[in-house]
Parts: sequence; C-alpha cells; structure tokens
Amino acid sequence: MSRRLEAGGSWIDRAKPLRFTFDGAEYEGFEGDTLASALLANGVVDGFWSPILSRPRGVMTDGTDEPNAFVAVLEPWVDLITPATTVPLVEGLVALARAGVADLADAAPAGGRIGHVHRHVETLIVGGGDAGCEAARAAAGRGDRVLLVEERPRTITDVSGGEDVTVLSDATALGVYDDGYVIVHERVRAAAGERRVTVYAGNDPVEHTIPLPHGMERIWHVRAGRVVLATGAFERPLAFVGNDRPGVMLASSAMRYIERFGVLPGERAVAFVTNDWGKEAAGRAGAELVDVVDARDGRAVVRADGDPRVASVTIREADGSGTTVKADLLLISGGWNPNLGLWRAIGGGLTYDEGRACFVPDGAGPSWLSVAGAASGALPESAPLWFVEHGDDAEKYVDLQRDQTVTDVRMAVEAGLRSVEHVKRATYIGTAVDQGRTSGVLTAEIVNTALGWDPGAQGPTNARPPYTPVSYKSLAGPYQGLLLEPIRITPIHASHIERGAEFENVGQWKRPWYFPRDGESTDEAVARECLAVRNAIGAMDASTLGKIEVVGPDAPAFLDRMYTNRMSNLKPGAIRYGLMCGLDGMVFDDGVAMRLGEDRFLVTTTTGGAARVLDHFEEWLQTEWTDLRVFCTTVTEQWAVVALNGPQTRDVLTAAGTDVDLAKEAFPHMTFRDGAVAGVPARLARVSFSGELAFEAHVSSWHGRYVWDALMAAGEPFGIAPYGTEAMHVLRAEKGYVIVGQDTDGTVTPFDLGMDWIVNPSKGDFIGRRSFSRPDTARPDRKQLVGLLPEEPQVLLPEGAQLILQDTGAIPMPMSGHVTSSYRSAALGRTFALAMLKGGHAMHGRTVFAPMPEGTVAATVTPPVFYDPVGTRRDG
Amino acid sequence: MTAEHARSPLEGRADDLGRFAAHEVPFLAQIDLRIARSGADPLPPFLPLETNIWLGWNGRDVLWLGPDEWLVLDGTGATEPAELLAELRTLLSGTHHSVVDVSANRTVLELIGDDRYQLLSTGCGLDLHPRSWRDGMCAQTLLARVPVILQERSGATRVFVRPSYAEWLLDWLLDAAEGSA
Repeated sequence: MSRRLEAGGSWIDRAKPLRFTFDGAEYEGFEGDTLASALLANGVVDGFWSPILSRPRGVMTDGTDEPNAFVAVLEPWVDLITPATTVPLVEGLVALARAGVADLADAAPAGGRIGHVHRHVETLIVGGGDAGCEAARAAAGRGDRVLLVEERPRTITDVSGGEDVTVLSDATALGVYDDGYVIVHERVRAAAGERRVTVYAGNDPVEHTIPLPHGMERIWHVRAGRVVLATGAFERPLAFVGNDRPGVMLASSAMRYIERFGVLPGERAVAFVTNDWGKEAAGRAGAELVDVVDARDGRAVVRADGDPRVASVTIREADGSGTTVKADLLLISGGWNPNLGLWRAIGGGLTYDEGRACFVPDGAGPSWLSVAGAASGALPESAPLWFVEHGDDAEKYVDLQRDQTVTDVRMAVEAGLRSVEHVKRATYIGTAVDQGRTSGVLTAEIVNTALGWDPGAQGPTNARPPYTPVSYKSLAGPYQGLLLEPIRITPIHASHIERGAEFENVGQWKRPWYFPRDGESTDEAVARECLAVRNAIGAMDASTLGKIEVVGPDAPAFLDRMYTNRMSNLKPGAIRYGLMCGLDGMVFDDGVAMRLGEDRFLVTTTTGGAARVLDHFEEWLQTEWTDLRVFCTTVTEQWAVVALNGPQTRDVLTAAGTDVDLAKEAFPHMTFRDGAVAGVPARLARVSFSGELAFEAHVSSWHGRYVWDALMAAGEPFGIAPYGTEAMHVLRAEKGYVIVGQDTDGTVTPFDLGMDWIVNPSKGDFIGRRSFSRPDTARPDRKQLVGLLPEEPQVLLPEGAQLILQDTGAIPMPMSGHVTSSYRSAALGRTFALAMLKGGHAMHGRTVFAPMPEGTVAATVTPPVFYDPVGTRRDG
Repeated sequence: MTAEHARSPLEGRADDLGRFAAHEVPFLAQIDLRIARSGADPLPPFLPLETNIWLGWNGRDVLWLGPDEWLVLDGTGATEPAELLAELRTLLSGTHHSVVDVSANRTVLELIGDDRYQLLSTGCGLDLHPRSWRDGMCAQTLLARVPVILQERSGATRVFVRPSYAEWLLDWLLDAAEGSA
C-alpha cells in the first residue's frame, strides 16, 4: 500500500525514481528520499525490532535520534549499522533490517576510498538549519572563511554571500576539541558518482561537480577560530504504556515526512503534546487528526494498543475518565531538548529552563564556541511531563535501544543510586549509539522524580565524541597497509633488497635482519654471517645509528653531565663509549662520543633512541643549564655508516682505496681519522661492537650506496658477507655488550650491568649520580647482568624465560631473574644467553633453572663475556 | 665532487614525482646555523627574526627554524657544502655559534602545480591558504606524519625531507594525489 501522496515533498524529485531492496524485497522511491521515508512511502511501517526483548518497532524519528529503525547497508556502500532515517536513498541500494546490533558477517572487503583533509577557517558552523545558515551568512559578510557542515544530505536554507564559504552536507561533526579543532566525517552517498560542492564567489554560488565513487568518505581536520553550534533540538518522547509500538512517532518527524517527502505516516492520528510546536506539527502531519491530547489541559495518553502497530489509543481526561479511540498513528511531542552533545563533550555546562522544561547551555563553554538557534534554547514553552503515572511502569519504555523502562530506572534508584551517571551504568540507558538523544532527559527526570527532587535537579548524562559512530577505517583514512606508518630506509636499502635481505623493524626503520642465501634457514644464515665476521670480514649498514653534533665551548662540560663517565678529557681524534642515565640512575641510552675538535663532538645514540636523546639534551640545555654555551644538531641522516668487522678489515679497506694509515700504531682502537675511502670523503672510526678488529666508514649519505658497493666489491676476494641485526646481536652478546632496551628495561643501573668502571663520581655532578646513593640502587639482591650456559649445549633458552634457583616444582616458586638475550653461537659451537639475575654477580658457577612447558632447562651462571675476554682481537 | 658517486634519495623516481607536478632538487648545500639570541653578540643582519620567514641574502636562502636556529642554503645548488660552511664560519667568527653541514640530511621535493596546496592539505595541518601562507614563508611541520620543512619560494612549494622518509612520503603523496584527482 503506497503512502506517498500525489503531490508534495520538497526534498524529493519525482522525476527521478530509484529502485532499492530492503530485506530481500524490491521497492521504489525517489531521489531525495531517505531509506526511512522510502520505506514509509511503501507502507513498510514496522519491520524493525528491539535488540534485547525483540519487540516490534517502527520508524519513530527522522534523524540521528532514531532508536528503532536500524539497518545494514550492503550496496552500493557498506555500513554495518546505521539508522534508516540517516541513509540517503540511491539507485540499487540494498539494506537489511538490524535490531540495533551489527553483524560483521555482512562486512564486505575493502569499502570506498577514505581521504583526510586539513582545513582552516575563521568560522565553522555545525548545522545547516535556519540558525546555522544565518550564522554562515553573517560570518561570510565579515570576510571570514566559512565552513558549514550539515549531517543531512542538504542544508535547510540557502547560504550566500562571502567569497570563501564551503558547505558540506552528509557531513557530521564527530567531535569538537580544544582550540577550535573539529573532526568532520563527510560521506559521499546521496549523489550517484558525483558530489556537488558549492563555493560562493561574492553572492554567486559556483557549483562544482566532483566525480566521486559511492562510499567515499573524507575526514576533515578543521581548525576554526570560532565554532558555532547550530545543531537544533530533538523532540522529546513521553513514556507511557505501549509507547514503543510501531506507529508511535515524534510529531515533528511526521510533519517532515509529509512536507519533505510527501509521505503519509498514518491515516488516523492522535497527538499527545506538551507544547505548541508539537501541537502545530501534529496539525501539519497530514493524517486525520482524531484528537490532540494536550498535557497542559490535564489530559494524557495512558496507553497505546495494537498488534503490533498502534490500533487504538486510550486517553485519560482531566476528570479521571477514560476513552479509547481508534488510530494508527500516535504523534508525540514531550517538549524539546537542545542538541548539545558536542557542547557538553568539550566542557560546556547545562542549566535547567523551567518554562521550556529542558536543559539549555549555561554559557560557560570555551570562548571560541557559541550555540545558536534552537540548540541555544530558542524553543517553545512546554509542560514538564516525562512519563505518565497511570499504568504499569514496566511497559513504559525510556531507552528503546536498550529496552529499558521506567521500572528499570526506579529499580536502579531503589538500589541506592542517585546520580544519573550511575543509573546509566546500572541500566545501560544512553549507552547505545544515539547516546541518549531520546532517553537522556527522560531518565534524569524519572530519577529526579523518584528521589523526590525538583525537575532539573540533575540533567542528562554527559556525551562524548564521536557524535555518531564512525569506523576505525575512516579515522585511519589513507594510513592503511603500507602507508600505515612512515617507513624509514637507509641510502643502502636498495642494495639490501637486491641481496635478498629479510628486514626487521627498529622503530620506523627497516634494518636488514639477515641475508639468507639459497635455501638457508634463519639460523644457518646468521651462523654464516657471524663466522664471516669472526674469521674474515662482515659488513653492516649502521646508518640508522642516531648522530648528534654537540658544539660550543661548554660542550665538554655538558657531556660530562649527560654521561656517567668523563668526556671532557677526550682528545680530539679520540672516541669514548658512554652510558647515559635518567635522573633515576637507570640506563637510558648508550653510544660513543667522537671529539671532532676542542669545542665539537659527534655523539651516537641507539637507533631507536635518537630523538629521545636529542630531546633529553635540549630539555636540560633549555630549562636547567641555560648558561651553557652548547648547541645540539641532529645529523643522523647526514651520514651513512658502513661497519666493517673482522680480521680482514684492513685488507678490504686498502683494496677499496684509502689515504688513511690503518696501521695499529697509527690508528689505534677508539680513535678516528678523516680521509677518503673509495675516492669519497670519509671519516674512519675504529669502533667495534663485535669484539673483532673493526672500522666504521662514515660518509655523506649521498655516497652511502656507492661506498657500500665499493667495499663489498673490494671485499669479495676476502669472503666479505653483509650481515644483519641478528648476527650483530649474537656477536655483541658473545662479548657481553648490552643492548639498551633489550638487556635493560629502565630499571637497570650501570652497576647492575657490572659496568662500575663507566661511572665516574669524582668528575662532578651528572644525570643519575644522586640516585646511585639511594639504598635501593645498592641492594645486593638487585637483578644483575650474568651470562648463562645451558647444560644441554644445543638447548636455546627463550628470551624472557624466568629463572629460579631450585627446581622443586613447588608452586609458587620465587622468580630470581629472567633471560634478556639468547642465541646459538657459531663461534662457541653452542647456545648461550644473557640474563638479569638477582645477586647474579656473586653467583658465577651456580646452576639456575628456567621452567618451561617442555621441561625445565638448567643453565650455569657465568660472567657475561664469552669470547676473547681480553680483547686481543678487537685491539689488533 | 658532490655529484660524483652521489645518489639522491629519489633518484629514479622522477616519473612518479611528475604525476603531481613535482621534482626532486637534490644535493643542495645546507648548513644548520645556531646563534643564541640572548648572547652578548648582536645577531647578524641576514637572519630573519620573525617566525616562519625566510630571507634571500647574497644568493642564499636563510630559513627561520626556531628562536635560535636557521637553515642556510644555496637554493640553486651552485655552492658546495664546504664552501658554504667556510663562508659562514668566516662571517660569524668571534661569535658563539654553531654551523653544521646538514646538506645530506634532507633532500628537497619541489611542488609546482597549482593544486599543490590541496594535495599538501591532505597530510599537513598547517594553514596553506593565501591568507596565512605566502611566498617568503617557511615552516617546520608534519606532512603525512613525516617531519618536514616547507618553504614557499618563487611560485613553488619546497618540501625538505629526511632521505630515510623520502620514498615513503612519495608513495603517500602518490596515493593522496590519486584520491584528490
């Protein structure tokens, strides 16, 4: 049965019929319809049901306050759950009814494109009704850049004037944040394959048509000098017996279905109102109006009956007598609630307006934020009625999306709850996607009534972004897949790919993990790379190391304060390893300092710690030691670094060509020389993280690839192998060199690492020094760095395994430590590990146990240096 | 010397850059300059003191990066880094300053299309409207979460980006350009 009138409907274009499918049946509507209006036009008036009690429900509203008519849209875009009242009808739309709960099985792979865009305006207006459009005209008139967003597919009135006015429809302001930052979710749904953008040049609207695929969404990051909330008001329902039946509709919604869509929501209507707007709307709703029950006359609708749609309405007169009339539409207007979700979420308060029986903005929000129109409280007076006393409270629905009744609210109050925020959490009222748009004030006033408080004693629960649900996919926008997060690569990266490297993520960096040759397993590749370093030569791309130039006459003094050891007595041309601690005395980062000149150092940091260390330096320089004449400049990417490690290193450098004297006496360990390598300017540094003879070649990152290729070619006759982070980890662990962040976790002092030698308390104050005198940092049972050799030499302890001292199996067992690093060593021909063990420095030679699901692993505690403890290879 | 054996981060991707009317301006000599504003020495007159402004001086671009930090570069690529470094050292001798060669620390993407602001605004939170962004301005900001310096110069927008991020940023911009086309 068609309920579409012969004429009328200002939003629809009858020349453009559209076919759509709902719950498997085909229907027709018009361009300009919402799915809800098209369904009503086709006589589909119930067909929905409630999520918890499965009660039959119908369309109750015409906007985002809809608590009943939820659908999943499957074509031509995918929206797993949304109110039918907010879905613009398009050709070929396919939708299913949903009981307020989405079904992920409906999820189609890959929806439309989601873009992000940043926009700055002087004035942002949320809401395209009369007040919003008026505010837009005023702002445009004073020369502002204006953005107006309207969640419906069109604005209510025209906006004109001003040179820079953008109107977004089908766009929702999800949240208003500090300093005028607003996130807007724009959808491309109404116009098939295109979107009309109206830009005003002077008073002339210029229409642009942008071809866009259906389902395209855009997240607008808007920075606005002023934000005007012209978000209108929601008509408030009333709670009475049977108020959730299909056929119960807000009076203003019924009026809009007639006037905008030419749809008659019912034939015979009864109206139940508390205010003049509702009364007028009921009169314009098109149906035969049997009775207007005005609460201000002492009358009330006490129940609606039907099966399930409303068929009769029982009215209680002022004198207590009752009548029942036949009607298939019951129009409700229980007053109006300003739509203030965005206002409240940014901290705006509410005050109760007695005459209008609603909560209006208290004016205490941020200075850049204002509220206009109905949202500000420009509303008709209303009788303060929330629910009808007569009848069973358990049949008076308060939150239709949560199937909660007046009884549920009363029970929460009887259980001792007073605050609506507590009642919300006890009943879940207001936790559905509408955030209590129809139920919030009702609930607050039922609580106030139950407690014997005056109306308005407490208002509705707070709201928070997003204003309407938005998918994570939309918020992620273009940052998906390979574009999820920036990826950093070194100048040598392409070579690593050519050599078949597997990569490891280190912060945002991609670092070669190992370089498997044909058919090699990870273990085999790492073992081969390690042996190449120990027996011949290996090359590693160390470009990711953080690098900071520290310059100024006070640079030596500054570094003495930042590192635990002394840097000021370093000679130009020399290098020193250093540890940095936080104020708590815990190891924070490590690296080497190279003294480039009297007043100039280059310090290196861990790959992941570069930004943190620079921030740390700047914080102390800018906030505490402003008298120090020191500047820090990050040069991480100025330099590409190739680390050559292994006994053949000198031969390979010589073969590649260098003018630097590499002899032991001329160029000792922990010094650097400037010169050329393979014909390009280079700084050669004798620094070893493997324990082997090692040189690092620092060259301009422009030359990184060239020098890498030259060294690899020169090294080929010597069996040079590129090696990755895994081999690097094994090699350094064989030498007992810690990795900050792997062997340490922010609770480890240099003393815990057995590195007492690197703490120089006699040099003056430094960051962390004070904390070393705390009793806690001197406890003998602190976890301390040790080596572990599993008794079965091929058993690999898992990193993170807990250590116990007695293998009794008794639970609970006291945990005495944990494994921090564990590897197979080709050089040792067995497995080994590093661990943090309570009192470990005094436990060398003891056996500890790691209880594992496959059985306990026993291991002997050793010093943490397994290979060449004297350092003859490194210093050779 | 510079060009020989040197590779720029976006070498070989000129076609991709061309898809949004951009090209790489590699190998520019760039020097990070620090001078304390509270110091006893008067600031050299060629330094812009106003936030986010760059000045042309003696064939150099001098970009304001912070209250005591500037980037000095030869925007034409005619000068070697060592020359520029020496030039600044001479100019500033006797004052407390720091000059550090950062030429290879960033490469430059130059966007020349009329729609470049639309593209940049998909990933950059700055206001690039002519009301607040004009020739002669520069800014340190994030573009697609990547730290960059923007410089508006002679009808083009220059994006200074660390080499490590350059390829990813280009991929991101290609994706964004496709979406906003």
